[in-house]
Amino acid sequence: MAKERLYVVAYDIADQRRWSRIFKLMKGYGYWLQLSIFQCRLTARRRIEMTIRLEECMKPSEDHVLILDMGPADKIAPRVESLGKSYEAPTRKARII
Amino acid sequence: MRDRNQLVLPIPPPPADSETPLVPARMVNAWVYCPRLAYLEWVEGEWADTADTVQGTRVHVRTDTPAGRLPSPEELDDVMSQVRAVTMSSDRLGVIAKMDVLHVREGVVMPVDTKKGKRPHVAAGAYEPERVQICLHGMILEDNGYEVEQGAIWYAGSRERVRVKLDEDLRTRTIEAVRELRAAAETGRRPPPLEDSPKCSKCSLAGICLPDETNLFNRGYPPRPLNPAEDPALPLYIQTVPAKLRKRGEHLVVELKEETVEVPMVEVSQVVLFGPVSVTTPALHALMREEIPVSWFSTGGWFLGHTIGTGNGNVAVREAQYKVAFDARASLSFSRELVNAKVRNSRTMLRRNWRQERGTDGKEDALTGLERIARRALQANDFQHLLGLEGEAAAIYFSHFKQLLASEAEGFEEFSFTNRNRRPPTDPVNAMFSLAYAVLARTLTTTISATGLDPYMGLYHRPRHGRPALSLDLMEPFRSIVADSAVIQVVNNGEVKLRDFASNGPACSLTSKGRKALIAAFERRLEQEATHPFFGYRVSMRRMLEVQARLLARHFQGEIPKYPHYIPR
Repeated sequence: MAKERLYVVAYDIADQRRWSRIFKLMKGYGYWLQLSIFQCRLTARRRIEMTIRLEECMKPSEDHVLILDMGPADKIAPRVESLGKSYEAPTRKARII
Repeated sequence: MRDRNQLVLPIPPPPADSETPLVPARMVNAWVYCPRLAYLEWVEGEWADTADTVQGTRVHVRTDTPAGRLPSPEELDDVMSQVRAVTMSSDRLGVIAKMDVLHVREGVVMPVDTKKGKRPHVAAGAYEPERVQICLHGMILEDNGYEVEQGAIWYAGSRERVRVKLDEDLRTRTIEAVRELRAAAETGRRPPPLEDSPKCSKCSLAGICLPDETNLFNRGYPPRPLNPAEDPALPLYIQTVPAKLRKRGEHLVVELKEETVEVPMVEVSQVVLFGPVSVTTPALHALMREEIPVSWFSTGGWFLGHTIGTGNGNVAVREAQYKVAFDARASLSFSRELVNAKVRNSRTMLRRNWRQERGTDGKEDALTGLERIARRALQANDFQHLLGLEGEAAAIYFSHFKQLLASEAEGFEEFSFTNRNRRPPTDPVNAMFSLAYAVLARTLTTTISATGLDPYMGLYHRPRHGRPALSLDLMEPFRSIVADSAVIQVVNNGEVKLRDFASNGPACSLTSKGRKALIAAFERRLEQEATHPFFGYRVSMRRMLEVQARLLARHFQGEIPKYPHYIPR
């Protein structure tokens, strides 16, 4: 089985245009959770791919991206306290729409 | 191992003419590392990314951006300069190289190659493949008139530079490697896999090369649990209409009447569309570029076709496949084993899933009957005979299929099932069989296409236009194990109810909701892990289909003497 890990990606981008580029880019790697926060299930390969793509888009002197590793995606249930809306970690299943 | 004491005369490879493709220098590196890897990547065009290869791309981001201009050999003066990303070739050697960095100093050029890892602690300063590659860069520069004294390797992982002396030994080894690789490509001989090598466990092509699986047949070693980087992407089915599939940035957007669903493109392995779903051109382009096949079905589940970009360019596999398919004796012996496997698997289904509450009347008879047919299939002397045996087995299997359905299932009487019918199916169970088989055939068609085989040229199922004969062949042993078990599951779990079917005259079909439930069960089944009966390791059913398809390709190419059909206990 592919080893996927669960990540939370948070970012602070100084420039509106770069921000929207990164927002769009992140939609290709995970699910939008809150303003400037995404959660992603990634293999080691995609994790690096995402880093490269982010580095291409951001300006290291002004922007800041945090990639938090929450552990193996299928083995752990992240201990999250969610107030207000409910929280659900993304699962892996075939999508039938 | 090569005998290092034996003197080798450095015979240069024949000069390349306009017809011969130039070998990239990094492939010569790969050849020294593992000849089979170089052959698969360069000659057969197979490629798989892993974290390592992507990391490699990352350290090359800077060196891949051209910078500076390299003066011609005559103009080189005392000026020191640095040039990046220079592509140069040598017809004498028949190689081409993209050189990361060139240092120019006092009229002498030094090629520097970037590697992502740390400096290895070996006597020569760097491993042989890397030294050969840098030597090749040096020789290409010399052939273009530059003066080269030495090369260097920059290890990005430990930020260290190692110098490489281009001595006679290294040059001899380099020329030898170029000659071997070009000769292998010309004669079309794929080198055998490495034996029990630690290199395989980190190799991105392990899942394609199947080193241990191939060696098992030839030498009898049990395979190590090599863990090829399995892609976690899964199919995306769209069967609600009206729907529109478009692309935005890196994700796919499915627009429905009442909601919009966004799916990251990297999580999609294939797109399956039922009915009039529209797809925008940019979405289709992106899917083809990412090698994500799109399968099209009619609303009623009738299979219409695939859209696959340029497909797998590995022609050698198809050539070998046709040779076997045209050989009547080889086809017949393959087909005997195939029918045997199919009958044995349907017997296993009856044995495992027979519901206790439905009594055991006829169970033993059915099982012995199927066993006898399976044995007779191995002796069949023509295709007609095999077809007859297959029909006999199907009659026994389907006449007992209702014993596998839970009698407490809602609407059981309507679900209980006596015989297989289609075109069109007339009852709910037959409608589900038809859909499940269509989806399984589609899954196998895309799997087979990805391995380079031609899904339309079969061995047991003779080719007929528009019929994916090889998919149908490969599918036989999996029909009961994958498709039928999904049908049993949705009925017994009550995931599908009678109201999920619609009748039109004698025809019975699933509604959108029923179809969704059955496809979900089918995909769940593919995710379940099973032990490979031959290799003994556990893989998901999805990967099992791929391993089987690759083994079949290996069998056609003569690397393994016999194709092992999937027959679980």
